[in-house]
This record gives sequence, structure tokens and C-alpha cells, in this order.
Amino acid sequence: MTRPAWFWGVGALRRAVGIGALLALAAFILGPLATLLVWAFAGTWLFPNLLPEFSLRWWVYVLTNADVSKAIRMSALSAPTATLLSALVCIPAAYAFARLEFPGKRVLLLSFLSANAFPKIGLYVSIATLFYRLNLMDTFTGVVLIQLVNTLLFMIWIPTGTFRGINTNLEEAARDAGAGPLRTFFQITLPIALPGLIVAALFAFIAAFDEAQGSLIVGTPNHITMPVLMYALVLGYPQPVGAVFSVLLSLPSVILLLITQRYLRAGYLAAGYSL
Amino acid sequence: MSGGWKRGALGLALVLPPLLVLAFLVILPAITAVVATLTPAPDATSTSRFVNYAEVLGTRILRTDIAFTVVVTLIAVAVVFCLSYPLALYLRFTKTRVAALLGVLFMVPLFVPVVIASFAMITFLVGHGLVSTVLYRLGIVQFPSLVYNATGIVLTQVWVNIPFAVLILGAGLQAIDDSLIEGARDVGAGSLRTFFSVILPLNATSTMITLTLQFIGVFGSFTIPYLVGGNAPQMLGVTMTNYLTQYLRRTESVTMAVIAFIIASVVGVIYVASVSRRERRA
Repeated sequence: MTRPAWFWGVGALRRAVGIGALLALAAFILGPLATLLVWAFAGTWLFPNLLPEFSLRWWVYVLTNADVSKAIRMSALSAPTATLLSALVCIPAAYAFARLEFPGKRVLLLSFLSANAFPKIGLYVSIATLFYRLNLMDTFTGVVLIQLVNTLLFMIWIPTGTFRGINTNLEEAARDAGAGPLRTFFQITLPIALPGLIVAALFAFIAAFDEAQGSLIVGTPNHITMPVLMYALVLGYPQPVGAVFSVLLSLPSVILLLITQRYLRAGYLAAGYSL
Repeated sequence: MSGGWKRGALGLALVLPPLLVLAFLVILPAITAVVATLTPAPDATSTSRFVNYAEVLGTRILRTDIAFTVVVTLIAVAVVFCLSYPLALYLRFTKTRVAALLGVLFMVPLFVPVVIASFAMITFLVGHGLVSTVLYRLGIVQFPSLVYNATGIVLTQVWVNIPFAVLILGAGLQAIDDSLIEGARDVGAGSLRTFFSVILPLNATSTMITLTLQFIGVFGSFTIPYLVGGNAPQMLGVTMTNYLTQYLRRTESVTMAVIAFIIASVVGVIYVASVSRRERRA
């Protein structure tokens, strides 16, 4: 079948428009990050120069700042605590959701979605009113609990999916060979499930580490994590300060992503982010 | 059947700890909030159960903020959806290296904390930022302000939310069998016809999850409107946080939180139902 020549012309035009739109979108995605990165190494950047005078002096300023080191310590303690706590509480439950039969299983599994079905800020304000009564405002425990809310869903749903995907034959074979239930779990099930569990932990950690709005409400003024400090830096300091701190703040997620990237498949990502 | 009973008890025992955490951090606060707002303060002007709601909804600025929040949310969700659906389609049906590269590129905002994203958008869009510098070099000096207003909020929400939408829509599109689409083409359906009568209906669940999740996310956001938005009107997230932490008016703040729950409740129910439906099919 031959097509008239004008069709190809229109097709090429349409392709060009499509590619142009994609490039524009790419510029829209990368532009802000590029600007931020340039600012992090800028001494001064005067309008309308396309590039600044480069300098590292803001790095010295940020790294020697007492508030910054305090926030780094706070984040380094709270986010791993929340992730670990979440794993301890949720992974056995995920195994139960995947493997055991009990009344109300489906509804209970779905109930964890409620953490997402509430507008977040409304939920934090409600949590704060509860925390005022329990004297949990401006405490380490309060901040960890706020971060924990954001990890629950990842730690329940991704591991549940992972355990479900493991063929029961292997476990049954181990049981037949005389292994007890605990030994079977630790020697057979857990190693196979590990990639899924690592992805869940990664999501949970990033969610806990990046949590800002709830920790701002619950942790102010003495329990400031890195993302919470970022609000103050954005609003009250010269732009390079915020930019330098942004780079510091993104480091843990970027490093973790690079380490775990071989476990990340689009399927896992989609499953994680529909939550 | 004592074995089955035992396993059932074990199952319940294992799922109890995270359920308690959920109850303590989501269900209990929500109930406490509703109860607190339905209790009139001792010095209240009226003893009606709904006096707190009457006061909040009777304040013109707060009514404006609620309306502003709903409108900004709807616009942001619409823009995200209109940009991400074609992108998801492109990534699903194009198997070139450029497409693969773009697929990675559009995931970048997923791993950028919202605080950083907001700040990056400010440096990008602000009066003397990169965009205005480039426009200035091109000879364009007069253009509307792009940050510290609703435009800034929408642009940043779009930046943050596009990858989520593309991923969820894309996962749904991936599940559609190629043969169904080829079948539609074979009987003579054009691209648009194929999209509207085959792809869109088959991808309805993912579409619902995307739309509802985006709505709740934008509606309940604080960081983006706080940093990128203007002074007034403000989105509800900023207003209720200010009432709680700056003006120390907890009752009004919680009342706004419950109003937000009520507005988002229908959307929340559709979200849970959609994920549940996808779960059952999987």
C-alpha cells in the first residue's frame, strides 16, 4: 500500500511537534534543578548574567552552622528509627496478610490506605491536637511517630505483594525436609523476599527522611529535622544557602537510590506510588 | 479445624501491632478532631454543636481560602492529567532510545523532596531567576509574575506530581494487551477512536487512582503553597497551620482540618475503592 506524499509531510510535522513538546517538558523538569545546582556553587549571581561567579564560600557557611549540624543529627537519628520501627511492626503483619487466613483480612489490609485518603495537612493538625494532650509536642518520639505514619503503607503493601509472589512449594519443601516454621521463614522465605523488602525500606526511609510539614508542626522549636530547617533557610537566608543545603538534603536519597537501583523496577515503583 | 483456628489467631496477632499504630496515628486523631470541633468552647456565643463550623464558615477570608484551595486543586489536577496521559501513552507505545531516556528523566522529581522542589521552582521562576533571565535575553521584559501566586503553586504541583501520574497511568497501560489495540486498528479505528473506545475504558481504574490521589495530595498540601504561594488568598493547608502554630487558635485550625476531611472524603472513598478493585484483579 502506498501513501500519498503529503501524508509523510504531515506525519513528520506531527512528530516534530511531539518531540518539541517533549523537549519543553524535559526543560521544565530539569530547569529548576539545574538552577538550584548552579546556585549552590555561586558566590554572587547578578541579573541578567546567564552564569554566576563561582565560589564555595556558602558551603563553608552552611557546614559550620550549628543549626545545620543539629538538624543533620536529628534527621540521622529519627528517620532510621522510624524506618526500623516500621519494618519491625509491619513485615510480620505483611507476611500474615500474604500467607494466613483470618477474619476481616481484606478490610484490614485496605484500612491502611486510610493514611492516604485523608488530606495530609488536616491529619497532621489533628495529630497535633492529640499530641498536645499527650505531651508529645516538641519531642523526639513525636517526630518519629509523624514519620512513621508516612512509612506504614509502604511497609505493609509492598512486602505483602512480595510475600504473595513467592511460590509456596519452596516453603512446603523445606517443611517436608523437617525445618520448623521459623527456620523456613528465615532460611527460605526471607532471602527470596529480600529485594521487595529492600524496596519497601527504601520507600519508607525516603518518606520518613523527607517528611517536612508534619515535623514542622510537631517538632518546632527544638526538634528540627533537615527538611524542616529548609523552610527557615528558604524564607530567611540568601539563595545560595538554601541551594547548598538542598544538595546536602538530597544526598541520602540519591546515594540510597544508586545502591538499590538494581532492585527498582517500574512495577515496584508504580505499586509504591499508588499508595 | 483447630489448626485453621490457630493460624487465624496467629494472623490476627501479627497484624495487630501495625493496626494499633494506624488507630493511634490516623483513626484516633481524626475522631478526636471531630469530637473536639463538635464541642462548643465554654465562652462560645452559642451552645449549638456546630458553632465552631458556623464561625469558620462565617469568616469571609476563610471561605475565600476554602474556595481558592478547591479551585487551585482542580486546576493542578487537570493540568497534571492532561500532560501525563499523553506522556504515559508515548512511553508505553514508543520503544526508542529517546523514549527510554525520557522515561528515566520524568522520574527525577520522585526523588526530590517537596521542600527542595519548591525552592528550586522559586530560583527558576522568580523575578530575576533563570526563566526571566532567558526571557530578558530574548527581549521579553514584560510578563506576569510566575511565583508567589496561584500560577506558582500550580506549576510546582505539576512539577512534583507528573511522575506519580505517569507511573500509575503507565502501569495501567502496560497491563493492556497489545492485541486488543491492534484489533481495534484492524477494524479501522483511528488513533483517537482507539484511545477513547479501547484504551481509556480499559485503563479506567488507574485513571481513577491517579485523579483521586492527586486531588487529595494537592488539596492537603502545605509545603508548596507555603513557599511558592502568595499571602492571600492562601490554600487551606497554610491557613490551618498558621492558625495552629502562629495564632494559637487550635479550635479553628482543627475545624478547618475536619472541613478538609469532609470535602476530600468522597474522593478518598473512590481512591480506596479503586485500589481495592485493582488489588482484586491482580
